[in-house]
Amino acid sequence: MCNFVDWHGYRVVYKRYASLYFCMCIDAGDNELETLQIIHHYVEILDRYFGNVCELDLIFNFHKAYFILDEVLIAGELQESNKKTVLRLVTTQDSLVEAAKEESSSLRSIIAQATK
Amino acid sequence: MALSGMRGLSVFISDIRNCHNKEQERLRVDKELGNIRTRFKNEKGLSPYEKKKYVWKMLYIYMLGYDVDFGHMETISLISAPKYPEKQVGYIVTSCLLNETNDFLRMVINTVRNDIIGRNETFQCLALTMVGNIGGKEFSESLAPDVQKLLISSSCRPVVRKKAALCLLRLYRRNTDVLNIDGWSDRMAQLLDERDLGVLTSVMSLFVSLVSNNAEAYWNCLPKCVRILERMARNQDIPQEYTYYGIPSPWLQVKTMRALQYFPTIEDPSARRALFEVLQRILMGTDVVKNVNKNNASHAVLFEALALVMHLDAEKEMMSQCVALLGKFIAVREPNIRYLGLENMSRMLLVTDVQDIIKRHQAQIIISLKDPDISIRRRALDLLYGMCDVTNAKEIVEELLQYLNTAEFAMREELSLKAAILAEKFAPDLSWYVDVILQLIDKAGDFVSDDIWYRVVQFVTNNEDLQPYAAAKAREYLDKPALHETMVKVSAYLLGEYGHLLSQRPGCSPKELFAIINDKLPTVSTSTVAILLSTYAKILMHTQPPDVGLQKQILTIFKKYESYIDVEIQQRAVEYFELSRKGAALADVLAEMPKFPERESALLKKAEDAEVDTAEQSAIKLRSQQQTSNALVVTDHPPVNGVPASNHLTLVKMPSQNIAEESNVTYEEPPVETPKENGTPVKVESKVDIIPETNIESKVEPPTSQPASQADLLADLLGPLAIEGPPAAVEQNPVQGLEANQSPVGDLALATLEDQSNSVQPIVNVEEKFHILCSKDSGVLYEDPHIQIGLKAEWRAHHGRLVLFLGNKNTSSLVSVRALILPPSHLKMEPSSVPDTIPPRAQVQIPLEVVNLRASRDVAVIDFSYTFGTVLANAKLRLPVVLNKFLQPITLSPEEFFPQWKALNVQPLKVQEVVKGVKPLPLPEIASLFMSLHLAATPGLDNNPNNLVACTTFFSETTRAMLCLVRVETDPQDRTQLRLTVASGDQYLTFELKEFIKEHLIDIPRVQASSPPVPVQPQLPPAAPATYNDPGAMLAGLL
Repeated sequence: MCNFVDWHGYRVVYKRYASLYFCMCIDAGDNELETLQIIHHYVEILDRYFGNVCELDLIFNFHKAYFILDEVLIAGELQESNKKTVLRLVTTQDSLVEAAKEESSSLRSIIAQATK
Repeated sequence: MALSGMRGLSVFISDIRNCHNKEQERLRVDKELGNIRTRFKNEKGLSPYEKKKYVWKMLYIYMLGYDVDFGHMETISLISAPKYPEKQVGYIVTSCLLNETNDFLRMVINTVRNDIIGRNETFQCLALTMVGNIGGKEFSESLAPDVQKLLISSSCRPVVRKKAALCLLRLYRRNTDVLNIDGWSDRMAQLLDERDLGVLTSVMSLFVSLVSNNAEAYWNCLPKCVRILERMARNQDIPQEYTYYGIPSPWLQVKTMRALQYFPTIEDPSARRALFEVLQRILMGTDVVKNVNKNNASHAVLFEALALVMHLDAEKEMMSQCVALLGKFIAVREPNIRYLGLENMSRMLLVTDVQDIIKRHQAQIIISLKDPDISIRRRALDLLYGMCDVTNAKEIVEELLQYLNTAEFAMREELSLKAAILAEKFAPDLSWYVDVILQLIDKAGDFVSDDIWYRVVQFVTNNEDLQPYAAAKAREYLDKPALHETMVKVSAYLLGEYGHLLSQRPGCSPKELFAIINDKLPTVSTSTVAILLSTYAKILMHTQPPDVGLQKQILTIFKKYESYIDVEIQQRAVEYFELSRKGAALADVLAEMPKFPERESALLKKAEDAEVDTAEQSAIKLRSQQQTSNALVVTDHPPVNGVPASNHLTLVKMPSQNIAEESNVTYEEPPVETPKENGTPVKVESKVDIIPETNIESKVEPPTSQPASQADLLADLLGPLAIEGPPAAVEQNPVQGLEANQSPVGDLALATLEDQSNSVQPIVNVEEKFHILCSKDSGVLYEDPHIQIGLKAEWRAHHGRLVLFLGNKNTSSLVSVRALILPPSHLKMEPSSVPDTIPPRAQVQIPLEVVNLRASRDVAVIDFSYTFGTVLANAKLRLPVVLNKFLQPITLSPEEFFPQWKALNVQPLKVQEVVKGVKPLPLPEIASLFMSLHLAATPGLDNNPNNLVACTTFFSETTRAMLCLVRVETDPQDRTQLRLTVASGDQYLTFELKEFIKEHLIDIPRVQASSPPVPVQPQLPPAAPATYNDPGAMLAGLL
């Protein structure tokens, strides 16, 4: 089976990975194979980020999946084709979140000590 | 990678995953939504961590497909948080949950702007991403200049600039004024010098959008694009990370070539040479390899290169090289490449001079028609259709016919239409055409539209040589044991007209013809019966010398149908019966149908109307310009039936609206029976004596200016009576002795004139349709002979979206279409504009946004009118936007229910009434009636088996979500009365809901039940509106 389906005047480009389907809807004149490879590019990044990504990773970390998608696509256009760059940005942001958490917990412990 | 400690979210997701069915999932989701709502109500106690957690949960629920219509404020407020973790959640969830129409977005424009112009790079990225994903007019107006600055700034890092480029692209799509073209072409040229390939990829996307809009302004960028392409194709200086399966960023290559396709041509010889060199390299250097991803990537580039070659109109040599490549592709194992090979061949057809090279691959394309993949089969069908011409029509059409046997249902209609068109356009000889259409009807009768068989009848009528052949073929088909009804129609028609030409052949005597046709009579539908009756009359006329036995048989049938329920058939039967007793007059009246004037094929028009992709459409056009077979052209015959002086008979058609509609005529000419319209008044004088058995004299003056082409030919074809004869003949030799009872000529002609002044009557019970739609969300709202109005509605809390489908059933346009919506005061309705004209057989959609402001039983009315011919039709229709559309059933447990019930124990909030004259229904039926009104009857709340308790949530803009509780106490001794108690947090809602339920319980005539004005509510004291801390409002918060 090919990876394209005509749908209401648009074209759906999809790819199946195990039990997951990744779909993108494009105009009939757009380049189908290019779109298909955007999907694969995204999945490869997910794979590197999670380390052998599986369905459960995406279900329990759907917000990460969104976040990574935002680094790959904006306004439906490919933003970055360099996987390393994407991963670097994502991990930087992860560390920002972590740092904020530590900061608040250390604050909390300071407050806790102070109030003792 | 655990959810970094957000345990509540993980637990919730696990819970959802453990649900065994959708219902459990829904309950779990409802519970969670209730929980989130409560927590949000009391925002002060919410830590940033919790807020984040709930917002993520909302997004998850939204992802599962549930409505999340609250919490938007909380989500958006996270954007303004000072710290990264909250901001990040706010931005991501906002861009998923909200779209550009959401009013809340306005509130954060300033924050977003501050983030964009601020110094914090991570904040800039978040803001740009969200704006790029949401777009929208307001963002576009207020943020575009700042985003532009980021893109061209030299101090920004690539990560910000690439986001700025795509963000700007999104804003530009929404509003092209955001970029001032003059200054931008130079800046764009600079941007295309970008060394960072990530930024360049994004910039190229922006560039594609800019040139697609105005290529002229960006000529200066063209050489840069060629240079980028050269660099990529030679793999010069491309960092390893930007190659994808060994290919230098395929995306950037594709985009660059896409941009080049928007320039009309490339004149600069050196740029052109360089470009062709690159293209040549791509065309020749791409092979199908084992790795799927490498294949896809390299072919993405290759197909784009092909498109560019086609656009540049390269030398023939290069073109044939392309076709050769495509020929290779359509035979490879990789389905994607087969698909694209076929698709690009279809596009290639537009380029002159390559059709012959494409034809060499015909065999392979036909094989693709049997591909296991339907997407590929469709492409193959499109291509075959596009490439068909006189030389290969026979082969292709026969392949299509064969494929019809095995094709899936989804494709059969398209397939048979296309086969019919090709057969007509490119037929090498006419008998072949007849063969094809008859085969088509035989094999796929259900999918052969009426237009197809009308068309074959037209051809046979216009070509005398063809008539005996067609009749003989029709006769052969009648021997088949199982026959599609369309085949019965066409065979009966052909044999009626031309059966007598076969009379010398075995099995074709009038008697035998009649017998074999009459075999089908018991099993066919009304429209076919009408045709069969005409056929019988014709057979009777052609039987010379008359056969008394046959005549008796046929007359018996006519007699039998004289009292048939269908008026059309009844009329035919009566008329034929009388006529057949007239001898010579019968021969005049039932003379052979005159030739049809040449006209555009209705099929072709249908095919063009149908949704076909542009490539295919232009292929059709191109083909039809380039070559037309003259096999079927019949223009050398003058339009005979319009010239009174000729020896052919003039034709005055019996108006027969019904038939014309039944048979889906697709011709645009206004029918002759609308004399005012075509300016050739048909004068009909008739004296109708009341006394039966009197002769009528009728003088029919035929229209003289342009009668034949105006005539609705199909109605002619099927019309019950075609009175033919030069006007003089009619006058000198008036049709004597027509029994006056039916007086077909005069009566009917007059009747049509009258019809025109009359208004159009609906053919469905409008009242009933309205009531059906009150409990359903899609269906027919109104229908008359010209138009059908369908309705589809979606409801989300207090919002509704209705779509009205106006379908023109006619073959000519409906004009002056107006639809005025008159909303009652409690509904805010925003209709979109209604087109003035509905083209023939077209459907237009009118979306309608509804917001429910408060509870009321008033109904919105749509004042709808249109003109068809000279008829002005007007209808006032009630729209089924009724109270229950804004109710959502909910099931409460006793622990939830009773506190609420008690809390609402105040008079105007809870009202009780003994309702008399109720439809006697058993309790379960009341429960299901309630369910249809979106009131969920909940067992276990009331122990009395004669009582029923139901709960629902009402949504409106003023009340938001408000719980409503209903209790019905019935008396088993007397089912016609019951006590109804309704409670809610809003007194008006309580009252309206009670009255609404009452209306549905009481068996009063519908019209009365729905009289719009709401009675003044006597028992309601003008109490102060429910205060914010009343129990109902608090309860609403709980939900």
